[in-house]
Amino acid sequence: MSVHVRPTAAPQNIAQPGRGALTISGMRKSYAINGEQRLVLDGIDLAVRPGEFVSIVGASGCGKSTLLRLIVGLEDDYAGEIRLDGERVVTTSLDRGIVFQDHRLFPWMTLEENIELALLNTNVPKTRRAQIVAEHIALVNLTGFEKAYPHQLSGGMAQRAAIARALVTEPKLLLLDEPLGALDALTRVHVQAELQRIWMAQRSTMIMVTHDVEEALYLGDRVIVMAPNPGRIRRIVDVDLPHPRDRASPLLHRLKDEILAELTAAPSEANLVRFPVRES
Amino acid sequence: MPLTLLALWQIACTSGFFPPQVLVPPSGVLSELLALGRSGELQRHVGESLGRLGVGFVIGALVGLAVGAALALSRWTEAALSPLFLGLWQVPVIAFVPMLVMFLGIEERFKITVVAVAAFFPVALATFDAVRGVPRAWLEVSKVYRLTLPQLIRRILIPATIPAILTGLRVAITRAWLVLVAVELLAADSGIGQMMEMGRQLFRIDTVLAGVVVSGLIGFALDAGARAIERRATRWKSA
Amino acid sequence: MSAASSPKSVRIAVGLLAPVLLLAWWQLQATAGDARSLAFAPLGSVGAAFVEQVESGALVFDAVATLSRSLFGLIIGGGIGIALGVATGLSRPLDRLLGPLLHGVRQVPLMGWLPLLGLWIGAGEGSQLVIVCLSAFFPAMLNTHAGVANVETRLLEVGRIYGFTPLQRFRRILLPAAMPMILTGLTQALAFTWIAAIGTEILLGTGGGLGVTLQNAQMQQRMDLILVTILVTAVIGFAVNQLFLALRHHLLRWQPKSL
Repeated sequence: MSVHVRPTAAPQNIAQPGRGALTISGMRKSYAINGEQRLVLDGIDLAVRPGEFVSIVGASGCGKSTLLRLIVGLEDDYAGEIRLDGERVVTTSLDRGIVFQDHRLFPWMTLEENIELALLNTNVPKTRRAQIVAEHIALVNLTGFEKAYPHQLSGGMAQRAAIARALVTEPKLLLLDEPLGALDALTRVHVQAELQRIWMAQRSTMIMVTHDVEEALYLGDRVIVMAPNPGRIRRIVDVDLPHPRDRASPLLHRLKDEILAELTAAPSEANLVRFPVRES
Repeated sequence: MPLTLLALWQIACTSGFFPPQVLVPPSGVLSELLALGRSGELQRHVGESLGRLGVGFVIGALVGLAVGAALALSRWTEAALSPLFLGLWQVPVIAFVPMLVMFLGIEERFKITVVAVAAFFPVALATFDAVRGVPRAWLEVSKVYRLTLPQLIRRILIPATIPAILTGLRVAITRAWLVLVAVELLAADSGIGQMMEMGRQLFRIDTVLAGVVVSGLIGFALDAGARAIERRATRWKSA
Repeated sequence: MSAASSPKSVRIAVGLLAPVLLLAWWQLQATAGDARSLAFAPLGSVGAAFVEQVESGALVFDAVATLSRSLFGLIIGGGIGIALGVATGLSRPLDRLLGPLLHGVRQVPLMGWLPLLGLWIGAGEGSQLVIVCLSAFFPAMLNTHAGVANVETRLLEVGRIYGFTPLQRFRRILLPAAMPMILTGLTQALAFTWIAAIGTEILLGTGGGLGVTLQNAQMQQRMDLILVTILVTAVIGFAVNQLFLALRHHLLRWQPKSL
């Protein structure tokens, strides 16, 4: 990891090519449960462009979390290909960060200690670290809470801190596994807006798993709808709307109704038809 | 691994690596145990020790149950007795021994009293916590269904408090065994502790080791037995 | 009027009732003038004995002797216990190897080792310190083992994400996460070393210390001295325990208040 010049506040264009391009082809994953091999993910094909925000929705058991864990390298042993900028994913790496549903901040460290810990194995000079940490705390609007312990932070604040920690290493790819699932509805709306603002400022490639279809459409450039048993991609929806998004947009609501109807209907064949829809 | 150690121990001794004053082989310990068993001495010592333990434990536990329950059920009793109780609890039981010797001498009465004191505190504390800890919600349910006092005690209070009380009883009996052996080392004419002390004075390592083994086995049996009873009685509880 | 709603002063007065009654009964027994009162020392003589102990320096000497044995046991026995607890917590094979042996040794009543140690290294300071160390060893090891073995996987995964080396994982995740349990073990160990120090002093009767004084006082039939020493034992034991709890509270200040 090299020291990067911090991006300015104004949103940049889509980031440099070859920086955060994820390709998954023909990926399959099985688990051995009680001696039997159970197929959890089957035939996953996906190409994520650098700087894109991709949302993934699906019912429970469709393998969304497993997919993220495989991409970040916490699970291995898969068939097929997962490549980041051409390199095969085998184990964890500072190139790929992740935010979990539980913030997983270390309870015995303060906020800034938690975030600085992410820089431990980078080659960022020690003298620069405090400043980078402060910048990221400001990015998630938590200035003033540097010396707080995690138990003193609210759920929303702790998640923002987790996001800051994940971003401080400037990963090519940031994964988010139901990051707002543990928050109450009001906080969720607030943090969604924060996430959108941060992404617009940083333009890292982000892949977010959520069970909230509205959230997926609000944040994502594309929404991947998955089906369970075994987990596979049902269809991919392009959301061709400019950022920052308007929650009240009729297009968003139409897409949401369509996707929800599909998710709550009887399971059908895998269907990779893309629906580019333009706002009229 | 323990078996390998035993084997090594046996070899080290029989090969003369350890002189008999320092260590005696497991076979020596075993033969001493058998000899003591044949002569009836082992049974006598074990019997005396366990007898004191039994009587003292029952007395201490009963008093502990009563005091613990009283403290928990009546706030006035708690206000009146808890300073004294907590103050006495700061003193290690063994520190009371010289005082008790002055009052009671070193006969059976004394040893049983020490065991009772040792058993008293864990049981009293556990009973207090158990009775205080009965969830208010359960008491309210009993009010709604208008249970009588005996029904309340039998169907709610006793099952609710048994798990914690059993744990307290287990801690009490293991602690009482520890204290009893210590006291028998100090002043007794029979018992496992005394057997070991006598062995030490006669430079009989085999006797001492035999005592160590027997006291360890009894300690283990007491603890394992108590845990088994705890498990059976709390089957209804989730982990 | 229920106890919970009475003013604090009333509750304090009631709390003093029992000790005061006890003292009054005691004084009565001591001055009764029959054979039994030999064992009861008048309260006045207890006070005099206290002054005597303080002035002769014996009080401080005894307290320091017992405390230093206790702390020695805590540091050495507790230290070895923590080290072995970490080792067995991290290495399942090591745990299977050493576990049965250590658990077997643990079953023997602590003082039961005294005769054996007496034959091996004599009935003096050495045996005493071994027993005190042993008393700290087991709670330290058991609690450390539990703490280390139960560190949450989800926290360890964070370490994997950020590329922690095994040493970093140990120092920055395992140890802090296990610290609450380790401190619980040390709190127990402290109490046990205190008990073991006094117990061995009573049993061996040499080398100075609160237990030795208790034993000597009993042999001289001096109940007043016994009572003074018991009181001092309780106060010091309580104070040291409170100090340790304060230390623990400071080290674990990151914990939410409910714990």
